[in-house]
Amino acid sequence: MEGFLPSPWWQFWWLVSLPFLALGLYQLRKIVRERREALPLLAVAGAFVFVLSSLKLPSVTGSCSHPTGTGLSAVLFGGFVTSVLALIVLIYQALLLAHGGITTMGANVFSMGVAGPLVAWILYRAGKQVNLNTFVNIFIAAFIADLFTYVVTSFQLALAFPAAEGGLLSSFAAFMAIFALTQVPLAIVEGVIVALTFKYIIDVRPDILVKLDVLTQNTLNRLKEAAA
Amino acid sequence: MDEHLLDDLALNNGLKEVDSRLKLLLGLGAILICVFSPSPVTPLIIAASMALIIVGLAEIPPQEYARLLLIPVAFAVTSCIVILFLSGGGEPLYTVSVLGFTLTATTASANLSLLLMARTFGAMSALFFIALSTPMIQVFSVMKDLRLPQEFIDLSMLIYRFIFIFIGEAIAIHNAQVMRNGYAGFRKSVDALSMLCGSLFIRAWGRGEEMLIAMDARCYDGKFETGTEEHPVSLLSLAAVGSYLAGCSILSLLFSGAVLFP
Repeated sequence: MEGFLPSPWWQFWWLVSLPFLALGLYQLRKIVRERREALPLLAVAGAFVFVLSSLKLPSVTGSCSHPTGTGLSAVLFGGFVTSVLALIVLIYQALLLAHGGITTMGANVFSMGVAGPLVAWILYRAGKQVNLNTFVNIFIAAFIADLFTYVVTSFQLALAFPAAEGGLLSSFAAFMAIFALTQVPLAIVEGVIVALTFKYIIDVRPDILVKLDVLTQNTLNRLKEAAA
Repeated sequence: MDEHLLDDLALNNGLKEVDSRLKLLLGLGAILICVFSPSPVTPLIIAASMALIIVGLAEIPPQEYARLLLIPVAFAVTSCIVILFLSGGGEPLYTVSVLGFTLTATTASANLSLLLMARTFGAMSALFFIALSTPMIQVFSVMKDLRLPQEFIDLSMLIYRFIFIFIGEAIAIHNAQVMRNGYAGFRKSVDALSMLCGSLFIRAWGRGEEMLIAMDARCYDGKFETGTEEHPVSLLSLAAVGSYLAGCSILSLLFSGAVLFP
């Protein structure tokens, strides 16, 4: 929410996010120069993340919350490009839906666009190296991306509002406890949904995933055999 | 899903002819004054004046604006209750015991949480002003004036274009699923939603590929050129924005000592 994060923290998180965004923009420029066809496809992915993050997930407690949707993009396009997509999505959430804000955007870009996706991307690549089951791997990546986003958010809030007794750590624990109640079930649901989404994509348009180097043709053949 | 995008309102607002840089200056300036304000008075004045500007000058229906304001208010109230019991300092005001934890609200934490609520409320009103008075197309031309990277602006414009297509498709798929009892029960909901995401992605990707062919057919060379409508900045409106921001800054200095519990 706009205005919630006091100075100097909102400036601090903007500064922390800037190098990642610069790196993302640099990669974006390189991708677009090399493969002209990448831009419309990246745009599709960005719009997809926006629509996904404005969907409401079914949750156990009956309350509704928003998935981050960035785990999917991180698996498809890598961590840094996802930061740029997350920035654009956050601008649209602020200006089209009045979710979030401009001063708080730096902190949100860092938690939702940098920390979560980078961890998801590293985990996915590592899982691929050790030949983890593709769906389990995608579930873990999406689950951790969502969860880690909220761990970082709690940390950001705790830094800005340390508790009177116990300071940073006890305030971090308090924010974590609040988010854990609502977000752990949601992160599991998001993980399952992203994994099942991949299943549908593999069923209908596996060529997209091979082209983006998300899956190799070998893995794909193996998955097809297992399904048959 | 939220079908009401603020852009729909912004496209017909009363201030759409005003230069977009001026509107962004007013909104961002007010947001910064709110964030830096040491007392809750100035943000509340900004919230009230923004409400007048949005309803009076931008001609947004008052009941529509009231409905929009409910979202940030609900969030701000819950977060400020957390801050109220978490931070401390000053005299204890109220103590409550929950699950063996003793939670205390003190004068200093009450001051902080009121300040945060006021800041959030004021800054959200200013954000609503930007969102409701400046259609996205005008934001793109400001991005161009700021010399942001071309790829970034192009990507933003394409995403903007696709958002509306996908929301339409997502609603259509969702309706079709609801009619077939797709969301009856938790397990079915998870399955239906993944099917929605999967088929949305596949359709979306197809759209992207089709668009590529269409753009190739029109000699796409990696750049989008867009025409921008220039509205000259009138001195009167520039002076109005300047004096509003200056007035708010002065108020913020005047009221810097004003708190609930001194």
